[in-house]
Amino acid sequence: MKKIVAPDYGLGETVKSHAAAIKVAIKEAILPQTVTSHYPGERRRMPDCFRGYLRFDPEMCISCFQCSFICPANAIGMREAPDNRYYPTIDYGKCIFCYFCLDSCPGGALKPTKVHDVAYNDVDEMLTPTCDMIDMPEIIREDERYVEYKIDEHDLSLERVKGLDDLAVELPELEKISMVSVCVAPENCLSCRVCEEVCESGAITSALDGDEIRMTIDTTTCNGCGLCVKECSMQVLRLVRREI
Amino acid sequence: MAAAGKFEWKIAIVNKPLKDKTYFENLKETVIDTGICSRCLTCACICPVDGIIAAKPVDFPDYKERCTDCGACVRVCPRFDYKPKYGMGEYLEFVAAKSNRFVGQDGAMVTEIMMSAIEMGMIDRALFVGRNDEWMTEVFHVYDPSQLEMGTLTGTKYTFATVLKDLKKAVLLSKKGVGIVGTPCIVSGVKKLQKEYPLFRERVKLVVGLFCTENFHYEELAAFLSEKGVDHNRLIKTDITKGKFIATMEGEEEPVTFKVKELEEILPSGCSVCTDFTAVEADVSVGSVGSKPGFSSVAVREKNAAEVMDYIREKGYAEFGGDAVEKQLEFLINYKIGRFYVETAEEEGRDKSL
Ligand SMILES: Cc1cc2nc3c(=O)[nH]c(=O)nc-3n(C[C@H](O)[C@H](O)[C@H](O)COP(=O)(O)OP(=O)(O)OC[C@H]3O[C@@H](n4cnc5c(N)ncnc54)[C@H](O)[C@@H]3O)c2cc1C
Ligand code: SF4
Ligand code: SF4
Ligand code: SF4
Ligand code: SF4
Repeated sequence: MKKIVAPDYGLGETVKSHAAAIKVAIKEAILPQTVTSHYPGERRRMPDCFRGYLRFDPEMCISCFQCSFICPANAIGMREAPDNRYYPTIDYGKCIFCYFCLDSCPGGALKPTKVHDVAYNDVDEMLTPTCDMIDMPEIIREDERYVEYKIDEHDLSLERVKGLDDLAVELPELEKISMVSVCVAPENCLSCRVCEEVCESGAITSALDGDEIRMTIDTTTCNGCGLCVKECSMQVLRLVRREI
Repeated sequence: MAAAGKFEWKIAIVNKPLKDKTYFENLKETVIDTGICSRCLTCACICPVDGIIAAKPVDFPDYKERCTDCGACVRVCPRFDYKPKYGMGEYLEFVAAKSNRFVGQDGAMVTEIMMSAIEMGMIDRALFVGRNDEWMTEVFHVYDPSQLEMGTLTGTKYTFATVLKDLKKAVLLSKKGVGIVGTPCIVSGVKKLQKEYPLFRERVKLVVGLFCTENFHYEELAAFLSEKGVDHNRLIKTDITKGKFIATMEGEEEPVTFKVKELEEILPSGCSVCTDFTAVEADVSVGSVGSKPGFSSVAVREKNAAEVMDYIREKGYAEFGGDAVEKQLEFLINYKIGRFYVETAEEEGRDKSL
């Protein structure tokens, strides 16, 4: 049977860590509870798919509320910002790091990070306002470099590798999907022009054409907002991908 | 589709007799105000802004602000371009039957046909007319037999119902199809919707018609029955048989009965011009005359309804009592036609005996 062999730290490293441990023990004996020990003891390298603390880019947010609707822990609250728009806030006392919010965001405004060891003074502080979600949180740790243990496939020996890591993960750019409204069942259209009424961009027009009413959607002006689709009582309009 | 960058479609303009008036004004002046409106609510079903309400008479109170003048209401109103229907109509079979599974007005065949159609997968919802404790009608979307346990969904309510107002919603929600039951005027409304719009042709899969001499406005019938000593809260069944109105109350040994003729004073004008007793346009028509008490008379007219009847036979869901007697219907069929001629003669100042 193969066994995982512990890494050899070398004599110097072993003496050093023993000395450090004795130092902590003496300090604790004289002045108890004055040390913060990091947990985990070593900073580990996290995979890129790690679900950590979330970052937010207000530029990309369309205030659709999808993230707050989908959050199973009810951790996301939408708050009005000074620009009169609503943006998410996250209560990390509730968040279960499922990343449903990030997956549901149509604008790609929520961004992943590998930050997971965040400390708070009290529970109220865990409700993170939008303004604190924009930048990466400040990271106070003595060990700048991460440690990674790699298992050798042949002899199963463990190798300890150190390195620097960017905790903010950049996702590949979202494919922008452009939609346009079309009529899929003209025979069911009532020519009520409710769609024309609600279209903010003036893309839908109607005109008399002999003994018929001609409805027109200008597909270059239509911005794909879907308001007409929602308001048509006969559900004859659909958003389809714009063919370019 | 036309030029690049444009998506186009066309809709034919609906005819209107009063050219300088809006479509709703046309409907109001030619149908509602003249008293021929049957209160079927087909107009309310199609109205894109949901503005037409089931008042007495049917109305669109804020039409000046909200009506888009699309003309859909006059396009579907069965009384706008009124061609009265009458007679027995065509049918494949006319049988007496009684459901083994459900309790209803007569043989509960309406309920049996709807629930079997759901079981077969022909439809996934049926619109039923239920009632509250005061006997006001309410529309229910029925998907499952367990919904019938409340006991008020089957059985006849002799007051107008708003079934058609719910049909558009039902049709848009349904995946397989919708079943609808109603009086002959409701059936005519559904058929007109089906004629005009593919949405209803494709999604309304079963139309059950009820035999009907007349229906009443709730307030008027309620007041009339109170005068006769009927307590609506204890009322369990209303019935019209052999020219008598019979109201059965809980805790009362003898039902309150009186001649239907007495109800003539509250006969709605829309019913007095209706000549269709058997719902000739329905896929299947059901009534009580033509078969013995406890049985429904079922006139199967279309293939879809015949399939449901075959299924009911195959499963043994109903007891069949032989052919229903068409002759027994003659009196009521002719009574309605006769009443129509008397009404229109009165209106036109003609001699009633003509
Ligand atoms: C207003 C009215 C007048 C009628 N007049 C006659 C008549 O003169 N002669 C005759 O033979 N039969 C008449 N009928 C039909 C008869 O009363 C029974 O409805 C029919 O025989 C079916 O019985 P059933 O036991 O098979 O139906 P059930 O299984 O009891 O089902 C009855 C169905 O009728 C529907 N319904 C009840 N009230 C209304 C309403 N107000 N509007 C629309 N749908 C409703 C319910 O949704 C239910 O689905 C009339 C029905 C109505 C609604
Ligand atoms: S809202 Fe719908 S039914 Fe009305 S005109 Fe527009 S497409 Fe036609
Ligand atoms: S999708 Fe929006 S912009 Fe396009 S036609 Fe409909 S309402 Fe107008
Ligand atoms: S909006 Fe159309 S359907 Fe509704 S009342 Fe006006 S004309 Fe009739
Ligand atoms: S007959 Fe029916 S469709 Fe016509 S106006 Fe009356 S309720 Fe509306």
